[in-house]
Amino acid sequence: MLQCIFLLSDSGEVMLEKQLTGHQVDRSICAWFWDQILTQGDSLKLVPVIASPTHYLFQVVREGITFLACTQVEMPPLMAIEFLCRVADVLSDYLDGLNEDLIKDNFVIVYEILDEMIDNGFPLTTEPNILREMIAPPNLVSKVLSVVTGNSSNMSNTLPGATSSCVPWRKTDLKHTSNEVYVDLVEEMDATISRDGTLVKCEIYGEVQVNSHLSGLPDLTLLFANPSILNDVRFHPCVRLRPWEANQILSFVPPDGQFKLMSYRVKKLKNTPIYVKPQLTSDLGTCRISVLVGIRNDPGKAIDSVTVQFRLPPCVVSSDLSSNHGAVNVLADKTCSWTIGRFPKDKAPSMSGTLVLETGVERLHVFPTFQVAFRIMGVALSGLKIDKLELLNLPSRPYKGFRALTRAGEFQVRS
Amino acid sequence: MAPPAQSQRSPSPSQPSGKGEVSDLKMQLRQLAGSRAPGTDDTKRELFKKVISYMTIGIDVSSVFSEMVMCSATSDIVLKKMCYLYVGNYAKHNPDLALLTINFLQRDCKDEDPMIRGLALRSLCSLGVANLVEYLVGPLGNGLKDGNSYVRMVAAVGVLKLYHISPSTCVDADFPALLKHLMLKDKDAQVVANCLTSLQEIWTLEASKSEEAAREREALLSKPVIYYFLNRIKEFNEWAQCIVLELVSKYVPSDSDEIFDIMNLLEDRLQHANGAVVLSTIKVFLHMTLSMTDVHQQVYERIKAPLLTLVSSGSPEQSYAVLSHLHLLVMRAPFIFSSDYKHFYCQYNEPFYVKKLKLEMLTAVANESNTYEIVTELCEYVANVDIPMARESIRAVGKIALQQYDVNAIVDRLLQFLEMEKEHVTAETLVLVKDLLRKYPQWSHDCIAVVGNISSKNVQEPKAKAALIWMLGEYAQDMQDSPYILESLIENWDEEHSAEVRLHLLTAVMKCFLRRPPETQKALGAALAAGIADFHQDVHDRALFYYRLLQYDVTVAERIVNPPKQAVSVFADTQSSEIKDRIFDEFNSLSVVYQKPSYMFTDKEYRGPFAFSEELGNLSIGTEPADNVVAAQGVEANDKDLLLSTSEKEESQGYGNNGSAYNAPSYNASTTGASQSSLDLVSLDQPSAVHTTTSFAIDELLGLGMPAAPGPAPLPSALLLNAKATIDPNAFQQKWRQLPVSLSQDISIDPRGVAAMTNPQALPQHMQGHSIHCIASGGQAPNFKFFFFAQKAEESSVYLVECIINSSSCKVQLKIKADDQSTSQAFSELFQSALSKFVLP
Repeated sequence: MLQCIFLLSDSGEVMLEKQLTGHQVDRSICAWFWDQILTQGDSLKLVPVIASPTHYLFQVVREGITFLACTQVEMPPLMAIEFLCRVADVLSDYLDGLNEDLIKDNFVIVYEILDEMIDNGFPLTTEPNILREMIAPPNLVSKVLSVVTGNSSNMSNTLPGATSSCVPWRKTDLKHTSNEVYVDLVEEMDATISRDGTLVKCEIYGEVQVNSHLSGLPDLTLLFANPSILNDVRFHPCVRLRPWEANQILSFVPPDGQFKLMSYRVKKLKNTPIYVKPQLTSDLGTCRISVLVGIRNDPGKAIDSVTVQFRLPPCVVSSDLSSNHGAVNVLADKTCSWTIGRFPKDKAPSMSGTLVLETGVERLHVFPTFQVAFRIMGVALSGLKIDKLELLNLPSRPYKGFRALTRAGEFQVRS
Repeated sequence: MAPPAQSQRSPSPSQPSGKGEVSDLKMQLRQLAGSRAPGTDDTKRELFKKVISYMTIGIDVSSVFSEMVMCSATSDIVLKKMCYLYVGNYAKHNPDLALLTINFLQRDCKDEDPMIRGLALRSLCSLGVANLVEYLVGPLGNGLKDGNSYVRMVAAVGVLKLYHISPSTCVDADFPALLKHLMLKDKDAQVVANCLTSLQEIWTLEASKSEEAAREREALLSKPVIYYFLNRIKEFNEWAQCIVLELVSKYVPSDSDEIFDIMNLLEDRLQHANGAVVLSTIKVFLHMTLSMTDVHQQVYERIKAPLLTLVSSGSPEQSYAVLSHLHLLVMRAPFIFSSDYKHFYCQYNEPFYVKKLKLEMLTAVANESNTYEIVTELCEYVANVDIPMARESIRAVGKIALQQYDVNAIVDRLLQFLEMEKEHVTAETLVLVKDLLRKYPQWSHDCIAVVGNISSKNVQEPKAKAALIWMLGEYAQDMQDSPYILESLIENWDEEHSAEVRLHLLTAVMKCFLRRPPETQKALGAALAAGIADFHQDVHDRALFYYRLLQYDVTVAERIVNPPKQAVSVFADTQSSEIKDRIFDEFNSLSVVYQKPSYMFTDKEYRGPFAFSEELGNLSIGTEPADNVVAAQGVEANDKDLLLSTSEKEESQGYGNNGSAYNAPSYNASTTGASQSSLDLVSLDQPSAVHTTTSFAIDELLGLGMPAAPGPAPLPSALLLNAKATIDPNAFQQKWRQLPVSLSQDISIDPRGVAAMTNPQALPQHMQGHSIHCIASGGQAPNFKFFFFAQKAEESSVYLVECIINSSSCKVQLKIKADDQSTSQAFSELFQSALSKFVLP
């Protein structure tokens, strides 16, 4: 049970304070917390669950804003963290982003949302669709509307229909002029490639994202061509679990709007679409570096937004790097990023140059890890394929759209 | 409190320059209060927003309270909400003004819009003013019967809020019974869930006072109630599911069929998108199958995939919480996770705390089949830029080496680290090689060859240096230059700041001397001379001891310093299995994240069930006397540190050297006889005791009669107390809970001593002169309460005392708890005699 939630700006200023129980938590806890951050040097380095002299603190950092929750009683830590993450998600959804100014401009809305999300320290309603019906988001439309109608309240006067609906994530009588539903497969490839080019670890984390604008109470069925490749799955509460267990069929009544229908993991992949071959040789205080990037397994679609990033070891004093394609940038904190973009047709991109080491250091002992980013539109690299999507209970023929996308997650190449 | 410094330097644009703005607001609000002109609501809204924004920044705007209430007559719901927010914030500190709000809140509780009814009821219950509870009962009763579920949901939590303000009002109005009825009958799942959370808390708190409440609390865990919740579990939202699952995890099924039924029912919860639900479900599974070994194993297999997915899917914060739990499970059953070791590979940009957990898991799951891959992976991290990470990785490699049978390849890797010529890597590796040699002496040949090449000048860290010196001494025969390296180290004796290294140096040179006398004689002489002149007590003592030992008999010295050693088979585990089990029992709680059972960190349970902890919490208001005690102890601190550091070192290093050199002191003690050793202790105590008494003289109250008499000396019985005993409050509290009361006494104080009792703050200091330490104190005249702690001189057996003094009636109540109950009577006499000296100096 949480006792208090604070929102802190990136300079440690208390932007918002929401006391949840009769026990008032003093603001000084924030000062204590900020001291901890300053001693760690970076809010991301601080453990998410810490004990202060008076309270246990949970912290989640999003876009420079720290969501800090306090409690004095034992409680499931994941519940607190999940809840804070949910608050962050809902707020950024409502305010169309998340930053200090947005929160300060809309603090009344933030208070209203928190009021509905948690009562006496226990989470209540966190489903964005339902919250949206209770508290209207501060978007342009509602602003225009309030000017025109003179009714400046951003509150709906009625309680959300969903509270009385048998499907809690959907209100009973939705109407859309154009019925459409989009299903996206979004995959992230996590891979670690060792010095000699072997694949240490390679797996895919994927999500099925659905954007639904359907009238009435539609019943959807989604079939995969090859569900057996999925290693572990996780569903939105709307998915009926029996049909999945029996026949690997996703059957559900969708919430309205964008939501994550399911997430999955595919383990032990054997191949990566691109290769990155770094080579470092050092002698007599200088180091030759060359990095080759190219297509290993053509996924059949264009690979774009390719970048390679790495951090120069601390003993490097200066660097001279150039590439035959794309731009190389070295930042002040010794982060070096090579933006390749799309692969050129005629050549394999390569970057090379020399690094000058500190005096006294003959050879390089620490080697950087190369982080690779890429994006492939139109392909789900895990091989997962949607077979078909059936819609029942609909007044008119809807439009169905499918897309797939794979991008690099934690794609790391060691040297 | 003021926000941190940065924000003061860059105030937000909306921050007012001074108080003028608040009084300005007050004026404007007052003008608006009665106005019914169109557009008033918009102006009001702007003003309310300003008030709330000041409140948010931390400026006190309580002065506009009455104006805010006057303006609250509005139909605009946003205005209402802002007003509720404001009122909720300031009502507690302005109870008189809060009365003003009751009227409009009660009216809103009857509004036709359920949303307003709910919000008003929520605000009404959140006022938190004790003398307004009478106005709460009516609206709450109506709220519980409201036709709209939103209002009932708010009311269910409202009852709990009321209970915290005034338990008797809540119970008298029969709200718990009403809640129970709702919980079992309401068709809205959220109402049911809120009833459950409220009832759980109310009955837990009531249970100590009324048997009926205790029965009701038990009834929540009865089969019909649990089944009722389980059957409705899919209706609940994710958070309520967590609460229900937490309840189910406490339920004890009658037979295995029931267990399987429940697990089948809940299995799909493992696929829930919310990690908190998954973890709660896992807790139910683990707890229910604890007694069924086979099924328990299967549960591990079943929960593996969901946990691993949770780790890789969420934000870093979520991953961390899940990883902590995964860590616990891996540590309990490493073999089940041994094929999934790749999941514990660290990513380059993960925070250090995550990497550390992963390294520990990698170490745990290493077995014959995967060791090669794991060690290869760990070696990658050693070359990492991140120094702490490199160190941890080397330690991990070492740990794996110590738990494996086939260490061939690992030793090679470790030796390669030494060739990397990086200081932190070398240092960390040296410590490991030392440990490894203690377990696998057969590797000494290979290791020594490499270690011999390391220049001692490149090793600066004390621990590493000590390890290197240990090896130089231990393998003096095999290392050609050993005497000469040691000699050069001894030449720089004065530059060696770490006492640990100097101690090791003494022992190493002794060992070396015993093996290669002619080459080492000169170095030994220099070392002993430098050691005896050393300002550090231990170094001095050891040097002197070696010196006399050599004088006495060289063969005895050989037997003590260089006895034949056995390889260490198992290194002591840092955490006992009992503690690990405790943490496991508290799965899905903070205990897992802190890696400590809750009693070790929840020193003050918030409204907790333990009456004692609350007492101790309240008592600690007496911080000032506590400070005094600390100051008084400060005199001894230096001495104590010295003593402590030796004994600690001996513990850790004792087995480090396989009981060779460091057992020497105890050998000494046993030859000279136990009586002398205890005499030593007394004589050691004396100076500090005199010290404390002189400092007490300032207090003029006490005076031990004879200032020269050392603390423990005047004790009437054979019971000797340790003058420097320490205990931390948590440990005290835990002990207090565990031990039974061994002696309970009421004694009267001589009425002539009442004068002394007017200032009981001096009592802790006085008792400390008698080696009885105060851990907490508090109270107001005439009742004072103290908690004391004392420890037997020779053993770790402790006494805990609760002492309640009534200074007007001159009565003292004693409650004594003791590890060794047989001596509690003696201790009580001792305590009373000390107390009587306080009363009548």
